[in-house]
Amino acid sequence: MMVDSSMTDTAKVSPRAGPSYAGWIGKLANSPIYAATIGLIANSRMARLVLLLAIPLIWIVTLHIGPIYQMARISIMDNYPPAPGGTVYTLDNYRLFFQEPLYFMPFLRSIVFAVCVTATTLIVVYPVAYYVAKVVKPENRTRALLLLLTPFWAGELIRTFSVIMFLANRGAVNVFLREIGFIDRPIIMLYNYFSLSFGVIYLISLFMLLPLYSAIEKIPTSLVDAAADLGAGPWARFRRVILPLSKDGIISGCSLVYLTSIGVFAAPLLLGGPNSTIFPEIIASLFHGSSDKWPEGAAFSILMLAVSLSTVGLFMRVVGGRTVKLM
Amino acid sequence: MRSYFSDFPKTALQASYWLFVIYLLLPLALMMAISFKDANFVAFPIDKWTLKWYAQVLQDKQFLEACAYSIFIALMTTMFATIVGVWIALLITTEGMIARSVIFALACLPAVVPGLINAISMRIFIRVLDIPTGTGAIILGHTVHAVPFVVIMVLTRLRSMPNNLVDAARDLGADSFVAFMRVTLPYLAPALAGGMVFCVLTSIDDFVRTFFLGGYQTTLPMLIFAKVQGGMSPEINAMATLVLIVTAAVGLYAEHLTRRSRTR
Repeated sequence: MMVDSSMTDTAKVSPRAGPSYAGWIGKLANSPIYAATIGLIANSRMARLVLLLAIPLIWIVTLHIGPIYQMARISIMDNYPPAPGGTVYTLDNYRLFFQEPLYFMPFLRSIVFAVCVTATTLIVVYPVAYYVAKVVKPENRTRALLLLLTPFWAGELIRTFSVIMFLANRGAVNVFLREIGFIDRPIIMLYNYFSLSFGVIYLISLFMLLPLYSAIEKIPTSLVDAAADLGAGPWARFRRVILPLSKDGIISGCSLVYLTSIGVFAAPLLLGGPNSTIFPEIIASLFHGSSDKWPEGAAFSILMLAVSLSTVGLFMRVVGGRTVKLM
Repeated sequence: MRSYFSDFPKTALQASYWLFVIYLLLPLALMMAISFKDANFVAFPIDKWTLKWYAQVLQDKQFLEACAYSIFIALMTTMFATIVGVWIALLITTEGMIARSVIFALACLPAVVPGLINAISMRIFIRVLDIPTGTGAIILGHTVHAVPFVVIMVLTRLRSMPNNLVDAARDLGADSFVAFMRVTLPYLAPALAGGMVFCVLTSIDDFVRTFFLGGYQTTLPMLIFAKVQGGMSPEINAMATLVLIVTAAVGLYAEHLTRRSRTR
């Protein structure tokens, strides 16, 4: 009854026949300026559609596609900024890449490195994700997951820095090993592939953990029970039931880790050494410093983008067996 | 029956979990420990403890300025990314929208392109358009990178929204703008909160885009990078510890918020 009377009151007070709202939205919706501007758009189907389309499409075309288009355009120019004599479009920048081992080898190294990191991360993280998703009791699951997530709220550089301190000659591992008398001289662990992989896996294992966790968690227990009833041992249950059913998680986890590890930039600068130069450093050096070779840099970036995306596409095809649904 | 799962080598799984936790936490914990070390070089063991590095960091003008600058960029990024992200998500869920999956794929493009390539393409883009490097360019770069994540988070939430809520509002006389502000937006609130915190944290953390797009003013990651390259002192540890505690607290709080709203 209270509600009824208050509603009729508002209707009496309100000068307009339209609906009335509380708060600033109400004031706005009842003002004449609103009726002349937003109200006009909001009430016309056509105007609404145009407005809904305009911003997202302009944004996506200029800022999502635009930069990559410009990069592709500059990659086939002979000079950037354009030389006074006019621009010649050429494929020389791409040819240079295949002729010069100085560029080609780090590129191969980068790809192999990313594949190894992805495989290692998958093997290391799978049991962890499985443990949290299926062995931990449901009421403790959030806590078990949060313990794994918390370190990732620390930034990329802070985590890289902590890895340096961990592996340095006078870092935690070496000091500990010397204290227990295991070694006399520090093991050199920094500035090589070991520290680089250690650091990169440290940085990106979360991208493997979350997709795997949500995929494994969705596997119905009854299916595993059925397999067990039919006589499948632990290995057969894992191999024939759990692994195939967690395929989606494996695919998205591996793709994410691969794409992130291939484009990782700060970690190689800080953790890598002269013998583990990977491609991102080469590309960056073409844009920075004395050698201002933008067209070459753009061409190499395009190659790297094409190879990394097509590797992921191929992987999805082979492992997924079908085109993975985007939505 | 849980027993079928648990007769897997359960202890091995448990061990792998705890080893992984140690792997994730130990380096950070040791880094924090060194920030209390009373010596000018970064190494173990720690003989004497002190708080002087914290006092020094909190008086370091460069550090405080970098913090303020990073926070400013992060807030601007979050504002723009949220608006654009929600807008794109609404477009994708509009009924009768054609080429939905194409729009979605393109909207996610910056999240799929490796970070370095993304940064380089933005660097080329702003040079072609004659936009100077600096604050504006950084905000633009961060926003482009953040939009896909907002889109994905908002889309997930929008899908679980009953269609008839907006219809009901429209039937009761609200025009579509009012219906959006009073029905859709409040429904999206938890996803938006999560997305915004995500934007803030990724922007504050971002190194590679700032490296290519930044001007002379240093952001927090640039400052830490320069200090790490320039030589070690426990001062960096104190700085990193402070940043870590603040970001982890914000992250955990956001996690708590989204989790609560999900179970409600």
